[in-house]
Amino acid sequence: MDIIVLIKQTVDMDQIKLNDSNEAMTENLPLKTDILSKNAIEAAVQLKEKYGGNVTGIIFGTEKATSSMKEAYAMGVDDGYIIKGYEKSDPLITSKVLSDKIKTVKNDLIILGNQSSDSYSGLLQGLLASELNVSLLSNAIKIEINNGNVDVTTESENKDIIMESPLPAIISVAQEINEPRLPNVMKIMAAGKKNINIEDADIKYEDDDKTLSNKAPENKRKKIVYEDNNGIDEIAKILRVVK
Amino acid sequence: MKCLVFSDNGDNAGEIISYFYKKMDIDVICNDSVIDYGADSVYKYSNGFSDNLSEYLLEMYNKNKYDYIIISSTNLGRQIAGIISDKLNEKCMPEIFSFEKNDKIVTKRFFYGGKTVLEEETGFKIFTISPGIFETKKIDKKSNLIEVKLNSSKYKILSEKQKSASGNDITKAKIIVSIGRGLGSKENIEKIMPLVDALHGEIAGSRPVCLDYKWLPEDKQVGLSGKKVKPDLYIALGISGQIQHLAGIRNAKTIIAINKDKNAPIFEECDYGIVGDLFSIVPELVEKLKK
Ligand SMILES: Cc1cc2nc3c(=O)[nH]c(=O)nc-3n(C[C@H](O)[C@H](O)[C@H](O)COP(=O)(O)OP(=O)(O)OC[C@H]3O[C@@H](n4cnc5c(N)ncnc54)[C@H](O)[C@@H]3O)c2cc1C
Repeated sequence: MDIIVLIKQTVDMDQIKLNDSNEAMTENLPLKTDILSKNAIEAAVQLKEKYGGNVTGIIFGTEKATSSMKEAYAMGVDDGYIIKGYEKSDPLITSKVLSDKIKTVKNDLIILGNQSSDSYSGLLQGLLASELNVSLLSNAIKIEINNGNVDVTTESENKDIIMESPLPAIISVAQEINEPRLPNVMKIMAAGKKNINIEDADIKYEDDDKTLSNKAPENKRKKIVYEDNNGIDEIAKILRVVK
Repeated sequence: MKCLVFSDNGDNAGEIISYFYKKMDIDVICNDSVIDYGADSVYKYSNGFSDNLSEYLLEMYNKNKYDYIIISSTNLGRQIAGIISDKLNEKCMPEIFSFEKNDKIVTKRFFYGGKTVLEEETGFKIFTISPGIFETKKIDKKSNLIEVKLNSSKYKILSEKQKSASGNDITKAKIIVSIGRGLGSKENIEKIMPLVDALHGEIAGSRPVCLDYKWLPEDKQVGLSGKKVKPDLYIALGISGQIQHLAGIRNAKTIIAINKDKNAPIFEECDYGIVGDLFSIVPELVEKLKK
């Protein structure tokens, strides 16, 4: 079973501070592997451990993503490519660049996170499935291989569905699929020495949308916070009115 | 101006139709007979998967030359939006909660996990819409209902497990008492129920409470990856107020927070707050409400 896992590096969103005009300050923020990418890595490595094979990690981003690739190696990814030259987030561009690369790497399965935690768009899975002409299974909480098919438990809004589909396939995973492992020091050390292939992306990009603003939503809350027992009386008054 | 809407959830389809009604003409592809909201035609399908639904959407789009394709951001909707975006080589603006058309289209969506709102001017044709944001509004005129038969799919369903629908829909609630990890255990829900009952409210929770610990059913989760609620009153008990949670309560009229940590971020996003132990404050509140 040859598996590709797609990994995204994002800024650490918990560290974002706002400036005086309420805009997010994103310069020099620490970077980290997106949370669902870790679930994707864990899922890929577990499948390798169960069915044998090889896991290749691919990151589309910048050179700084080596830290994320090393983390992926430490978790059990066998080899990795970073395709650099891009700092924006445009799913259509991302899918074109990634699918060009994926076509050069032997694979039965491609695994990625269902939605990335910055934009939440969830579009990449469908873009890639269409571009690569492979099956698409989404929001997986369980993956099993059976006689050349893949059975995936998909979590949708009101039901869990077990679906069967032919391989090759692309599977997006939900956070509930697993608990990403914490590699030990030996593995982290070994990962640091492994080669990472870094390539340049070939991007033809036209900017056809324009950001008008990117600010924290205006906060019009009253923020009356009581630190003593008077609070209970005041709140009770408000509750009586609403009720 | 006309658009093609897709949703595999009747409520979400209704929300989208109501929002775009009178802004443009609307045709809808849905698995539910959503004929009361002002669409011209409703194309009702069954046995839809990402492959045969995408094919059908593309066929309709090419035949009827819609200006926009608008897809509800459900699990299936997002898959289809990606497939269509690739097939048409048209970009998709994801997860929007506002669409204004003047000379150009201006959309709004959350970014950085809900920390900011991105306001963008776009020439895009495809949009996904965050569910539960818009109000549904029925109109008198009924839409044409057309039953359609989709091509067969390469996917096969081996089994399905309905998630227990747990009563009332929190996106429609006027008063919500919401619990977080600070509640400590499932058994402690009993201790706050008198408040829920006294207010005739609905109970809801943060993601850990609904997803990780399962103290509440999943459909009670509020937040970016849960439901976006719009009650008159939202009471957050033992919820720290992380950005992903706040993204779900931006449209609450009044927010009251009770938390023992005075530095909890929820106090920056509430109207009224009490710093203290919820297990002593809640019973006192209930007592006072009885008087
Ligand atoms: C991609 C992604 C999507 C997410 N989507 C969502 C989402 O949709 N919804 C969501 O809620 N979260 C979401 N999260 C998780 C979110 O980041 C937080 O982890 C979560 O909201 C925290 O839940 P909490 O406030 O219940 O728990 P905590 O952050 O642990 O807060 C518990 C609070 O309880 C207080 N407390 C403890 N004991 C008491 C007491 N006796 N009395 C009063 N107060 C007490 C503590 O001071 C603390 O502030 C998401 C995360 C990611 C990465």
